[in-house]
Amino acid sequence: MVRGGQVMKRGSMHLRSLRFKLTLWYVLILGILLISFSSFLYFTLSKSLYRGVDNKLRSLAELIASESASPLSKFGFGNIDQALETSMGLKPIGKFIQVLDESGQIGRKSDNLKNIQLPISLSALKSASQGLITFETNRSLENPPLRIVTFPVLENNHITKIVQVASSLEDVEDALHTLLLILIIAVPLALLVASLGGQFLAHKALKPVDHITQTARMITSKNLNQRIEPLKVRDEISRLIETFNEMISRLDRSFCQVRQFSTDASHELKTPLTILKGEVEVALRKERGPHEYEQILKSNLEEVNRMSQIVEDLLLLSKADSGEILLNREDMNLTEVLNEVVAQVNVLAKSKNLRIETANHHEEMNIFADPLRIRELFLNLIENGIKYTEEGGSIHILLTKDTWPQDGNLSSQPQGEKADLVKIVVSDTGIGIAKEDQERIFDRFFRVDKARSRDQGGSGLGLSICKWIVQAHQGEIKVESELGKGSSFIVKLPIHPS
Amino acid sequence: MRILVIEDEKKVASFIKKGLEEEHYAVDTAYDGETGLYMSDVNEYDLIVLDLMIPKIDGLEVLKRIRGNKNNVPILILTAKDTVEDIVKGLDSGCDDYLTKPFNFTVFLARIRALLRREKIEKEPFLKIADLTLSPVTHKVTRKGKEVELTSKEYALLEYFMRNPDRVLTRTLISEHVWDYHFDSLTNVIDVYVNYLRKKIDKDFEPKLIHTIRGVGYILSAHRP
Repeated sequence: MVRGGQVMKRGSMHLRSLRFKLTLWYVLILGILLISFSSFLYFTLSKSLYRGVDNKLRSLAELIASESASPLSKFGFGNIDQALETSMGLKPIGKFIQVLDESGQIGRKSDNLKNIQLPISLSALKSASQGLITFETNRSLENPPLRIVTFPVLENNHITKIVQVASSLEDVEDALHTLLLILIIAVPLALLVASLGGQFLAHKALKPVDHITQTARMITSKNLNQRIEPLKVRDEISRLIETFNEMISRLDRSFCQVRQFSTDASHELKTPLTILKGEVEVALRKERGPHEYEQILKSNLEEVNRMSQIVEDLLLLSKADSGEILLNREDMNLTEVLNEVVAQVNVLAKSKNLRIETANHHEEMNIFADPLRIRELFLNLIENGIKYTEEGGSIHILLTKDTWPQDGNLSSQPQGEKADLVKIVVSDTGIGIAKEDQERIFDRFFRVDKARSRDQGGSGLGLSICKWIVQAHQGEIKVESELGKGSSFIVKLPIHPS
Repeated sequence: MRILVIEDEKKVASFIKKGLEEEHYAVDTAYDGETGLYMSDVNEYDLIVLDLMIPKIDGLEVLKRIRGNKNNVPILILTAKDTVEDIVKGLDSGCDDYLTKPFNFTVFLARIRALLRREKIEKEPFLKIADLTLSPVTHKVTRKGKEVELTSKEYALLEYFMRNPDRVLTRTLISEHVWDYHFDSLTNVIDVYVNYLRKKIDKDFEPKLIHTIRGVGYILSAHRP
């Protein structure tokens, strides 16, 4: 339980960290955007505000310069404010004006300057002497910052006066300051809200993932019938769930197969064991005659043989599964091997009064294959036919040459060559196999009629071995059957396997 | 005591039949569920040994149908299915005992004895009427402490009598519980065996225990004149 709890905790930590990462990225990107936007806003606004101040200063300075340059000027004497008001009908509020003569002595200045004079820097004076306009910002501790324009008045390329107009930057700076303050508070606040929102969204998006994780974690080999509950909407998550469920289904199927196989194998081995143990135990309960002992030993031998057959076949199949068995291919005559096998099983067929008929339409029937395995294949198929055919019936074996179907899964064979496969059909007039059982008869230990097939002997693995032999030779095996009429096993083997 | 063995594997059924017959039981065999169910229906068995994986009707289904017929005959399941779920399922479906293959024959016999004992609510391992005793384990029969030698059929007959004391047993009942179904109940074999038995357990002793009920059958009782 503790372990489980730890695992769960670790799981949700991972999830939380993904949620955290998503939120972090989201906030980071949003932060960069907001900061760039704010900086852009702040700098363009401040630039345009400063430019606006400069433009106003300059146009006022120009006005004053042109007025003072005219011969009818009233600027020569008296108050600038009054002069401006009377000449232009405006009273510049918040603008400080002073007019200097060419030597730099202060002539007139506006009232609001009182006894203070606007500072003029050396560089501004120098520029003015060259006829250039200078903008300067004067910052001092006791006064609000001042924006000053130094505007030379030229007459015949000669400086006659210097007009200085100044304006306090207090309003502009106050506005910018307020904006900055708003941005500094608003941006982190927006980011905070966004991060909460982002977390919520990430949580909402990842919640189904959490659900999947928990369900998937609970599924073990014991409860593979469980599935993750599908979502109502179709999205990436629902596809993920579907994929998971399909995977669990596949796992379930293969687990079932393995379980079925081990149950079947243990049952197949338990039956002969039960007989051996029971017969011997009953026999030993009292003294018996030699004939009875012989009977018991014979029966025991039958069971021992059956068990070794099962074990041998199982071993063969497990080796085949792991690819340990290599085929010893050689050029072999199929007809010859078939005739040998038929001769061998004829005794068995005769005891049941069965006829075995072979038909071969070609003299030459050489293929490149493992003769030992092909022999085993024939033997298994024909014996199988004999087992399930009632007395008086017959077994037909047909050998023909054929070509692979061009659209088939084995159409990689050269197309120009004719007859690249041999077709072997083993038909019987036996009891047949029901449709629903036909695809399972190659399964290990699958028996259509359990009691009947044990009476006939065999390990229940014969057809599985046949299937393996055919597949190892890159061939195909299938069955066609009708209940009560008989079955045909059709084997196709390539003559020259790649 | 008559036992039905429902088992599709002929060799298994055969050695069980042989082993049980050597223990004086009458044994019938059925190789599929359908036959087994039919036989359990028409004959009265003292015990049924049932395999689960049998053709035609599955063993568990046979079990349920026997119980559905209000037949409380003790049933011992004998199967290769050995998982806990299988055993629980079997016991819950109404069987009395469950033995997995391969099994030990001595244990199998002991379980059969236990089931037959349970049927008559006997907890003692031997049967006793007056001074007559019979041990189903050792097959030893004594009268007044003296051992009585019986043949297999005589023993089976006496065991049936002793498991049903003070009860009138008709010839049909006797034939059903002591002989297997190949027995022709119209012959007077039963009377012959009852007489053999009388000679061995009643002739030299008092009180007489086996009494004839004319026209009906026999009764084993210590309390009859």
